Amino acid sequence: MVQFYLEGARVPEFVAHLASSKPVYAPHRTGRQSYAFAKVTDPGAVVLDYPRTMHSVKKFFLPPREELLSFDLTDNSFEPVPIDPTDAVFLGVHSYDLAAVGRLDYNFTVGSPESNYLTRRQGAVFIGVSFEPDKFHFSGSVGLRPEDNAGCDIFLTKLLDGYVLEVLTAVGEDLMAGFELPAHDAGKPATGNFQQHIYLPQTKLGEVMEKSYDSPVWEETAEKCVGCGTCNIVCPTCYCFNVEESVDITVTTGTRDRHWDGCMLRKFSEVAGGEVFREDLAARQRHRIFRKFKYISDVTGQPWCVGCGRCTAYCTAGISIANIVNRLIADTERVFAAPV
Amino acid sequence: MTLSELKHPGELEDLYSPVMAEIKEVRRLSAMENYYRVEMPGGQELGHMPGQFVELSIFGVGEAPFSVSSSPTLKGSFELGVRRAGMLTDVLARLKPGAKVGIRGPFGHGVDLDSFRGRDVLVVAGGIGLVPMRSLINYIIDRRDEFGRLVICYGAKSDQDLLFTDELEQWRNDPAIDFHVTVDTPSDHWTGNVGVITTLIPGLALDLNQTVCCVCGPPVMYRFVLMALKSRGLSEKDIYMSLERRMKCGVGKCGHCQINSSYVCQDGPVYHYPDIKFLQEAL
Repeated sequence: MVQFYLEGARVPEFVAHLASSKPVYAPHRTGRQSYAFAKVTDPGAVVLDYPRTMHSVKKFFLPPREELLSFDLTDNSFEPVPIDPTDAVFLGVHSYDLAAVGRLDYNFTVGSPESNYLTRRQGAVFIGVSFEPDKFHFSGSVGLRPEDNAGCDIFLTKLLDGYVLEVLTAVGEDLMAGFELPAHDAGKPATGNFQQHIYLPQTKLGEVMEKSYDSPVWEETAEKCVGCGTCNIVCPTCYCFNVEESVDITVTTGTRDRHWDGCMLRKFSEVAGGEVFREDLAARQRHRIFRKFKYISDVTGQPWCVGCGRCTAYCTAGISIANIVNRLIADTERVFAAPV
Repeated sequence: MTLSELKHPGELEDLYSPVMAEIKEVRRLSAMENYYRVEMPGGQELGHMPGQFVELSIFGVGEAPFSVSSSPTLKGSFELGVRRAGMLTDVLARLKPGAKVGIRGPFGHGVDLDSFRGRDVLVVAGGIGLVPMRSLINYIIDRRDEFGRLVICYGAKSDQDLLFTDELEQWRNDPAIDFHVTVDTPSDHWTGNVGVITTLIPGLALDLNQTVCCVCGPPVMYRFVLMALKSRGLSEKDIYMSLERRMKCGVGKCGHCQINSSYVCQDGPVYHYPDIKFLQEAL
């Protein structure tokens, strides 16, 4: 495979080249330490060296709010809201976010495939980029390295003064047509080491969770947790949604909308009559963590946490998912080691 | 199916569009519950199994899951029994025959009739749990020769809360049905059993090798009914239970009805007890 050298100063030119054929979505700086994927209008504003965006590319395939149906109350009729297929480049995606897209693909294809998600997802082209792990990333512990290029059409590895650019698919080749780059023969630098780890291979985590159902960690975590649902909302693999109606002010038309929901919110498991199946925050924290490392993993064999660190970085109460899991591991080992 | 095999996602079945069905009949069942008979467009069959549910919606109000109460042997329309418990069910209660509602489904895993055929069937229904169990009961009544004895235990808060009272009377008078009913708090007119539903179970005449049981009721009921059934000698493998959760999408996508690794809208609502025995949070 041929590797090219993309000089740092030529990145805007590269982005402009991409944008000349398709819309490009890439990370932009939105605050002092905040980054977000947004449609590129100024190639110079794209930031490829960033720790993490607040939301992953999930928001383009499963929008925070979308209209499923539009209805007319005057004659009780409805129409499905048409979905625009995606034909766009997602530039500067980290390996954990691509892995997360794979998890979402599973959810929306298994059983009854969902056209809403899949129509938005299918035409997506990905250009990945390596990253330097910060104090929140622990994707290495779930088998995802910063230099992994699975799912990418083109991959960029950070050099001191630019990027090694690898074209991985025919789609990637088409994107590069007309943009000349010098070959890069010098090999790729190693990416930095992770500062945050889960201290057990992910294949063993199901077993740890199995023994941790009644752990005191849930109550201890619940004492800090305020149940705001931020961890769900920023998670790139959380896909739960609710559906609600919105009616216009004249009460003649409206839409049936779906929006992101989160299992940390009290109403999530509420049924008619007011019964809430996970009433206390400890039960909801356990559900959240088990969903990432046990419930769905039991079925698919994969962890549903990709180690992006978002839920920890953005937690309003300072709760760390890696610390919870490591505490459970330590407690479980203590139980194993204890004399019977 | 994987993403790469999906060539034309736009041509997939639209999971979220309802069909517009017509309410043919509305009747009051109790102070809080109503009966609805619903006809699908063109009189087509819903095609459900006892224990399955539909998503019913009213535009501008919302959508929620409801168990089908009629047996599949009822042709041309299907029945619901709905408690008023929120905005959607309040608006539904104001609808008149002729009104159109959105229906999606049927969804979920209903009663495994193959495991019930040829056997005595014990139905334990608490409160509004009678609504889905009525589908099974009337199926058995309509296909009497396919099943053994039918034993029904039904418990309600008070005699005013008893649902489908005309049918209860028929069941009571049917020599082929062993029907028992109890209420927690009786009115002055009540002459029957008083007490929670578990008080009915010890005295039941059951052929333990022949009997298969299906339970449906409020969340608090399952644990106690299970204990009573087991001490009556029923084997765990002969117990099925229909669980209530918030099945918002009905198609295994939205996450609301998840119990551990099981989606109630896919694997349930009717579960074989041995399958959920070790499922924490199920009961």
